[in-house]
Amino acid sequence: MGTDLNIRITGGAGQGVHTVGSIVSRMAVLWGYHFHATQDYMSRIRGGRNSYSVRIGSDPVRAGREEADLLLCLDPAHIEYFLSRLSKGGLALADVPSASEPVLSVPLKQMAVSAGSPILANMAGAGIIGCALGIPLEALAPLLASDFKGDFLEKNRKAFALGEEWARERMGDRLRLPRAPFSPRVVMSGNEALAIGALAGGCKFAAGYPMTPGTGVLSVLADNGPASGLVFEQAEDEIAALNMAIGASYAGARSMVATSGGGFALMVEALSLAGMLETPVVLSVGMRPGPATGMPTRTEQGELDFILSAGHGEFPRLVLSPGSPEEAFDLAQRAMDLAEEFQVPAILLTDQYLADTIVDMDPASFEIRPARRHVVRGAEIHRGANGRYLRYAATADGVSPMAVPGEPGICVVAGSDEHTEDGHLTENHGVRILMVEKRRRKGESLALRRLPPLLSGSPNGDAVLIGFGSTKDVIGETVRLLAADGIAAAAVHLRQVWPFPAKEMAEIASRYEVAITVENNITGQLARLIRRESGVEVSGTISRYDGLPFTPGALAPEARKRIWEARSTRTSRTRGAQAAETSGS
Amino acid sequence: MLVSGIGQAAKLPHYVDVNVFDGLHGRALPAAAGIKMSNPSLTVVVTSGDGDIYGEGGNHFIHNIRRNVDIALFVHDNQVYGLTKGQPSPTSDTGWTGSLNRSGVISGPFPPLAVAVSLGCGFVARGYAADVDFTAELMLEAIRFKGFALVDILQPCVTFNKKNTYQWYGRMVYKIPPEHDARDRMKAFALALEWEERIPIGVLYRVERPAFEELHPAIGGPPLHARETSTETVREMLRKRTLQPG
Repeated sequence: MGTDLNIRITGGAGQGVHTVGSIVSRMAVLWGYHFHATQDYMSRIRGGRNSYSVRIGSDPVRAGREEADLLLCLDPAHIEYFLSRLSKGGLALADVPSASEPVLSVPLKQMAVSAGSPILANMAGAGIIGCALGIPLEALAPLLASDFKGDFLEKNRKAFALGEEWARERMGDRLRLPRAPFSPRVVMSGNEALAIGALAGGCKFAAGYPMTPGTGVLSVLADNGPASGLVFEQAEDEIAALNMAIGASYAGARSMVATSGGGFALMVEALSLAGMLETPVVLSVGMRPGPATGMPTRTEQGELDFILSAGHGEFPRLVLSPGSPEEAFDLAQRAMDLAEEFQVPAILLTDQYLADTIVDMDPASFEIRPARRHVVRGAEIHRGANGRYLRYAATADGVSPMAVPGEPGICVVAGSDEHTEDGHLTENHGVRILMVEKRRRKGESLALRRLPPLLSGSPNGDAVLIGFGSTKDVIGETVRLLAADGIAAAAVHLRQVWPFPAKEMAEIASRYEVAITVENNITGQLARLIRRESGVEVSGTISRYDGLPFTPGALAPEARKRIWEARSTRTSRTRGAQAAETSGS
Repeated sequence: MLVSGIGQAAKLPHYVDVNVFDGLHGRALPAAAGIKMSNPSLTVVVTSGDGDIYGEGGNHFIHNIRRNVDIALFVHDNQVYGLTKGQPSPTSDTGWTGSLNRSGVISGPFPPLAVAVSLGCGFVARGYAADVDFTAELMLEAIRFKGFALVDILQPCVTFNKKNTYQWYGRMVYKIPPEHDARDRMKAFALALEWEERIPIGVLYRVERPAFEELHPAIGGPPLHARETSTETVREMLRKRTLQPG
């Protein structure tokens, strides 16, 4: 056990795993700790084997850990499965007979019934965890009061107290961590941060069709719509959702949709429409394992290729890949702004891991930038020789000033056929060339605003581990573990994958002996993208494709091995080259 | 504001001097619904063909009737795909032969008016292209109607449909008599099912109910493009998720 504790709560759907996980996380924050919580749940309403892992630390924690130090099994049938994932010296709490550690026999059911309901087993468990961490009932009074009301609040308090009392004699203080004084922290998931960021970016229309893990974004937008002046509509399908959002955007509203890979597949034709009409729109796509229905509630990064090439025809797009809830908040605002400024579809590419990960964050890390609108009015409106508004004026930077319908004296004409500068369909080849080149210039203008990759760790040296999206902080912690082993390593996080920051990537890669991508997919899609766009041949890819996220604990030894292999291959190649040179002379 | 999909009928907006959104095949209705929700002060008319609205866009036809957004929908129904040169459409009669179906259509025809009445569409009418003034009146009434209004317009395709011709329609159509009670849904449904022997034109059903825009909690007030973003609202959302001491 190190400077952090990994607590895992497991049970069937409906047993309150999420409730107790959320309470344990927040009480840890109130007590001066930090946490990182991930959920591993099955695609079903009741039963199954779900878990909620809360890694608690004295310092901010930004990745998970495979082995649990403390396991609370609400369903005794799961004990065997999760025992294999218990750390050395770890403890498991379950309502099963047990004479010795690591399993402690806890009368969870009995405590729950005496507190007033069998469902309260989870809260009795929370009491045990609280006691083990040294957190008294009083410290979580405000949490209980905000989560429960009336009679049920009292019963929850009682269950917690019973758990605490049981643990006092039996758990000791071996799970205590040093703690800092409490300061206010924002607690939310990647999905929540992304949705609130979109609202901060001026999103006024959203449509969607429920699909894990995109639904979490939609529910924040729907719940906060009326207060924020945003109109949300649940569409009949994803096709309708994106076409609605494009319609709303044509009429001047900053608009978005949220979905997952399968839903995005249905939106592909409309993505191309947004490219042709040059209508700004933001798509949040949370990846999960495919193909087809795949593993609906688990994670993967298998849709990078698909996102970059989706849509018939050639048109510019923006693809941002946030690596944390703070970055999701920030990049959602950026997506809203740039989609409108460049009149392109902007995709926020996340995955189930980031979507459902909850952490505590510094309130100062959420910067709200005022949205700068790019809609022209009155005298700013560009007119052609015939006096008509030129929606698709062939400007030098490729961006045509955008007006909205209802503006007096003009008609706004947007057509999905190739069109003239005033929007009407044409089959003139000269105009086709004019428009194709205008759209390309727009893409080049957009590329000038690309975000460079983020580098952390050693500025040059042995190895660089490259990832995009949700792997950011896992790779960051891995690099620190490698540094402790004397490997001069760095982490590169791509928060923008299109337009691809090719020059920056090539420059960074040149400073390290070995470059390896870390990807939640089997084929190494990022490695191929880097090769294609920046000419850098990475040494290999560390893949994970079981439906679960990477953890630093599992990634570090694999990275160590791969770096060693790559370096020895390079060394033997260099030696071979030297030998050839010598014999030749 | 004219919204259309793809097909010969969907090119119509390019010949009129209005605001135009000419989108994807089958997807005119969701785009139109988005436009109307974004700015309810725009008069939104969708004009497209039977293949576009009843075939490719069938799901949107069903659900936008349920949604009851204030849109007038004009379907140029010629029972054939013209732009792709003569394939059967969802409204083609069984047994009709065309490209891709040389041995005759096996499926039964899609009954747009019966579907609309059964879904509770507030305004359901049928026009006929040969009776221009009569059809123009129906279209005006549909535009003025508050809520989703459908006018299916029989429109012979002189190039690809040699069965449902002006002569054929001339024999089949009759005007719905003035004594028809357009508030009676069952009578409207009975009229909507008439096709084999005679085809009624006129208003089959007309009952107004609150439109989507009037019921939606976030529509009303300024159009979405004119709404400010309140940083205070966003701060409040962050505050609600902030753990404070005490």
